Amino acid sequence: MTAALTLEGVSKRYGEFQAVRDLSFEVPKGSICGFLGPNGAGKTSTIRMILGLQPATSGRIEILGADDGRRVRDRIGFLPEERGLYKKMTPVDAIAFFGSLKGLPLGEGRKRAREMLDAQGLGASKRKKMKELSKGMAQKVQLISSVVHRPEFVILDEPFSGLDPVNQQGLEQMIRGLAADGATVLFSTHVMQHAERLCDKVVLLARGRKAFEGTVAEARATSRRFLELEGAIAPDQAERLPGVAGVEVVSDDGEVRVLKAALAQGAQGQEALKAAFLTGLDVRRFELREPSLHDAFIDLTGDRPDVDQSVKPTGVEAAR
Amino acid sequence: MNRMFLIARREYAAYAMTVGFWLSLLAFPLFAVIGGAVPILIRSSEPVREVVVIEEGHGAAGLAASIQDSLRRDADRQRERAAEAMEKAAAASGQTHPAATQGAMASLSRPILRIVPTPADIASAAPGQAQSEAVRRHLTDDTPKDQRLDAVVFLTRDAQGRPAARVWSARATDDTVEDFVRDALRSANRRSVFESAGIDSSVVEATEKFRPDVKAFSPQSTGSGEVSFRDRLPMLMGLAGGFLLWSLIITGASILLNSVMEEKSNKILEVLLSSASTTEILTGKVLGVALLTLTMLLAWGGLGVGALAIFQPDYAVMVGEILVQGGMLAWFVAFMVGGYLMYAVLFAAIGAFCETPRDAQTLMGPIMMVLVVPIMIMSMALKTPDAPVIQILSWVPFFTPFLMMARLHSNPPVVELIGAMAGMFAFALLMVWVSGRAFRAGALSDVKLSWKSFGQAIRGGGN
Repeated sequence: MTAALTLEGVSKRYGEFQAVRDLSFEVPKGSICGFLGPNGAGKTSTIRMILGLQPATSGRIEILGADDGRRVRDRIGFLPEERGLYKKMTPVDAIAFFGSLKGLPLGEGRKRAREMLDAQGLGASKRKKMKELSKGMAQKVQLISSVVHRPEFVILDEPFSGLDPVNQQGLEQMIRGLAADGATVLFSTHVMQHAERLCDKVVLLARGRKAFEGTVAEARATSRRFLELEGAIAPDQAERLPGVAGVEVVSDDGEVRVLKAALAQGAQGQEALKAAFLTGLDVRRFELREPSLHDAFIDLTGDRPDVDQSVKPTGVEAAR
Repeated sequence: MNRMFLIARREYAAYAMTVGFWLSLLAFPLFAVIGGAVPILIRSSEPVREVVVIEEGHGAAGLAASIQDSLRRDADRQRERAAEAMEKAAAASGQTHPAATQGAMASLSRPILRIVPTPADIASAAPGQAQSEAVRRHLTDDTPKDQRLDAVVFLTRDAQGRPAARVWSARATDDTVEDFVRDALRSANRRSVFESAGIDSSVVEATEKFRPDVKAFSPQSTGSGEVSFRDRLPMLMGLAGGFLLWSLIITGASILLNSVMEEKSNKILEVLLSSASTTEILTGKVLGVALLTLTMLLAWGGLGVGALAIFQPDYAVMVGEILVQGGMLAWFVAFMVGGYLMYAVLFAAIGAFCETPRDAQTLMGPIMMVLVVPIMIMSMALKTPDAPVIQILSWVPFFTPFLMMARLHSNPPVVELIGAMAGMFAFALLMVWVSGRAFRAGALSDVKLSWKSFGQAIRGGGN
């Protein structure tokens, strides 16, 4: 698959501060790529360099075949991290205006704006002023503004921030729809659950460096499966269980602890559990878990990304 | 290019499509008319002060009559001046002024005080404490309106026999009666001295009434050499043009500052930058607000020309001649373009660093102080347009549009005009370059505005 975006050894320095270090990755055409990392990891700086808003201190960026994002700006859609639109404009006018800046005729922009607003359930708000819309509605309008010209490459900087679970789900559908229409999507987030559900590929960034590049499954595979135990169990007791390679105390209220026992490569969790019961450990709850992207992120970066509590767990987590 | 026009169009529509813009547009000429009428209204509504005049003793006999006489002559003089002003205006415009104008002039020539009979309690009070108390009773706010006085004047003579007076006023700060009495007694004394010297009183009176007929001539006069209102009109228009330029440029630049600040605070600038180049955004915004400023100019100009054509068609012709044939309009446009460009891009660059007007204060404070300078100097440039200080300051690009406009009536050397204008445009282009770099850096920066951050942005272009 050909790459819609390629970064090779890209670095960005602001005075003494090194925001991005020697970053290289590719985003295949038509894929959804999650650009993950905690706040301050260098995601926004990288996005600005991709767009050509800021030059890289060193390295090479190629997007849609151009070595400068500004040359193909009409083929790119961009949603910035902090959002806002002209407060006194109507959604239709705002969408048509931003579309026109990307080369879409104003009349066509208005037509598409009405259709897209209707599709997003905002048909009743078409004639309202932006300042009269709720935050969720305004964010939808801004997202529509960034894709109304049907870009080949869509860059969304923290698109889920500030949205309620219902709107987050709607946004996920929109992103899937963009990819289904053939667009390449790169979105940054520090909430792993969205990336886990949406992405064909993820790039993990930590302190300006790339920590991982690959599929979600590959990212998960970098972490070990683990056994979560709850009860009056000492960490050293858990460490002695067969197949356990290490123990982390998740919580401890003095009497009951929650322990996360990482399993060694090839080890079966059932054996460890059996041993725990046979040795009479006070196990009140147990769970054998596959690593999530969240776990992989922690293992890969040594950092703890934010957890969006509003997002329901999936897969193994949902079985709890 | 297309993006630039789209941004300009949005910028223009964002203001021009609001009711507030048109209301404020009409408010300016309205307040200008009110501002011009206020002094006349104050003068015409000034109350005629009711004054009691008392001669103290036989020595003061005749001084009250001098006051009355002075009052009569003052009224005559004011009537004459009003009539003369009306005649001159009628001669200049070739029209007879309507009754309303004549009524307004008459109201301006009203006497400032009226002498009323002495109340019985003051007349009968013994000199000293009792008399003072009686006077006080008539001057306080507690006194019934029909008995209230504005001033009581006691006329007397000093040891040398010269006229003197004690003036009691209802308000300590109102010295109108005091000044009038002083002038009247000075006149009475002069007449007395002349008469003592054997000069006939009719000669004294005729001498005092004499007003020399002084006519002003100048080689710059358009007619026979005698300076007329037509000759002074370019000076007035230059001053008005300077102030108008100042208002338009500052209004336009301030609109731009607020517009960019709004986009910065709403994070729209980043989206714009992903869709258009810095040059397109800045040029589009500057152009949009320039069209807005042009709308203001056309609206104000249209109202002014319309009013002049309806009420004073002859003046309208004169103004038209000066603007078109005299070239004032062409210079105005040139100074407007250069001045606007210079200030607009600077204000836009400052706006790119700020999210609130408070953020902008660091740089706007000194800039506004600089902007006050031409306002102070413009009125000086009317009478002494070629003073060295004014000539030098005219070369400072920030002041050039305003000062040169105010100096135009004195026909400054073409070299000076062209040179200062070239300097202004060169500086404006420099400002476009400098502000373009600062704008680009500010738009993507979270750094608060300061002289240091602004300087760094210009040097590094924000990269």
